[in-house]
Amino acid sequence: MHDFDFLQPDTVAEASQMLADLGDEARVMAGGTALLLALRQRMLAPSHVVSVAKIESLRGISFDPQSGLRIGALVKHSELSRSEVVQKHYPVLAAMASQVANPQVRNQGTLGGNLCYADPATDPPGCLLAHGAQVVVGSARGERVLSVEEFLIDYFTTALEPDELLVEIRVPTPLPETSGCYTRFLRTAAEHRPLASVALMTRRDGRLCREARIVVGASVTVPRRVERAEQFLAGKTVTAQVAAEAAEIVAADIEAISDSRGSEEYRRDMVRIVSRRSIGELFGVGAAA
Amino acid sequence: MSKHTIELVVNDRAEQREVPARRLLADFIRDDLHLTGTKRGCETGVCGACSVLIDGEVVKSCLALAVHADGCTLTTVEGLAQGAELHPLQESFMRCGGLQCGYCTPGFLMASCALLAKIPHPTEHEVRAGLNGNLCRCTGYSQIVESVLEAAEKMNGN
Repeated sequence: MHDFDFLQPDTVAEASQMLADLGDEARVMAGGTALLLALRQRMLAPSHVVSVAKIESLRGISFDPQSGLRIGALVKHSELSRSEVVQKHYPVLAAMASQVANPQVRNQGTLGGNLCYADPATDPPGCLLAHGAQVVVGSARGERVLSVEEFLIDYFTTALEPDELLVEIRVPTPLPETSGCYTRFLRTAAEHRPLASVALMTRRDGRLCREARIVVGASVTVPRRVERAEQFLAGKTVTAQVAAEAAEIVAADIEAISDSRGSEEYRRDMVRIVSRRSIGELFGVGAAA
Repeated sequence: MSKHTIELVVNDRAEQREVPARRLLADFIRDDLHLTGTKRGCETGVCGACSVLIDGEVVKSCLALAVHADGCTLTTVEGLAQGAELHPLQESFMRCGGLQCGYCTPGFLMASCALLAKIPHPTEHEVRAGLNGNLCRCTGYSQIVESVLEAAEKMNGN
């Protein structure tokens, strides 16, 4: 690892000014789990690392029935999974956070860092997108609010300007009758990164689906909703056949990536299976094969 | 390049050291503090051999900088035993054969310690989930899980 200067600003404005002054020579560090690997493998060699760990305004989780959930960018995956308000009002989010990577990384990695890295092979972005989450990004120039869809632009690319930090994540209060599930598929149990993921959030009355949000992640460059499948499910009484048909649409409509971890065809197959099982289990119509 | 004075409590002892920004926590523990129980394994955050506790939470010290531990309480495998008296986990690992070559053992002990602090009565599934971030290349997982379950019983007074 090349040597660098380690800067520890106390405020977003101070950090933003450092980033503006240093330009491409600086990298932001939150929990450090991803950046340290990139530094050690010399994929990056910044002259300055700007640690945001001392910025208190990036911490904490709070919930208000009117405005919803606020998650500070520095909240770690383990904090999110153990939070009582998250467990109570956003059980799908809490369950997702309890599965990210492994226990050590959950104690070190932050939700904000995870989103800013924009690695496709991870869990939070797709799950947050299905919850209709927004992110607040800040700089010395002020703040902007973006949807997760607007924030995640491409493979390892976000909408952050060079002098901006991710400040917090906002998740709206769930509407009545909301239920959902998040399912990740691993090629082997020892893997820590999902090969495919499906986040499903619905408003339903028993097996009658009023509204559905289906987001595929990990097998695509950035997680995206599959609107044709959402529309197909809306207003339908879900049966095993309906679940299978919706899953076919999901698999057909994604732009699956192909790499050393899985071919496009394999990923599409796994997304179809995970989708069918998720819909089937959520609506209690069995998870047949 | 920047140097930083860090203050932390290591296995109940206060330490103050000057470190360069790029010093990894794992290297700080082994090379500066000479606590060589903590192992460097894959050094890419996969194997968990370098696991230690920071403020009671298990972390991989190859994925952290020494400056990250400033102001924290650090516990390494050397901090588990009380003098000559081994920690119940260490005793169980010995009795149940929870180690073969032993290289992964310090990491497994620290992850197990954090697990039992959170879940004093874990199921086998919870033990396996709690040790998901540690690899044993001798593949002696059954005995490791057995060791943790036995230690839990013992620590709960059974």
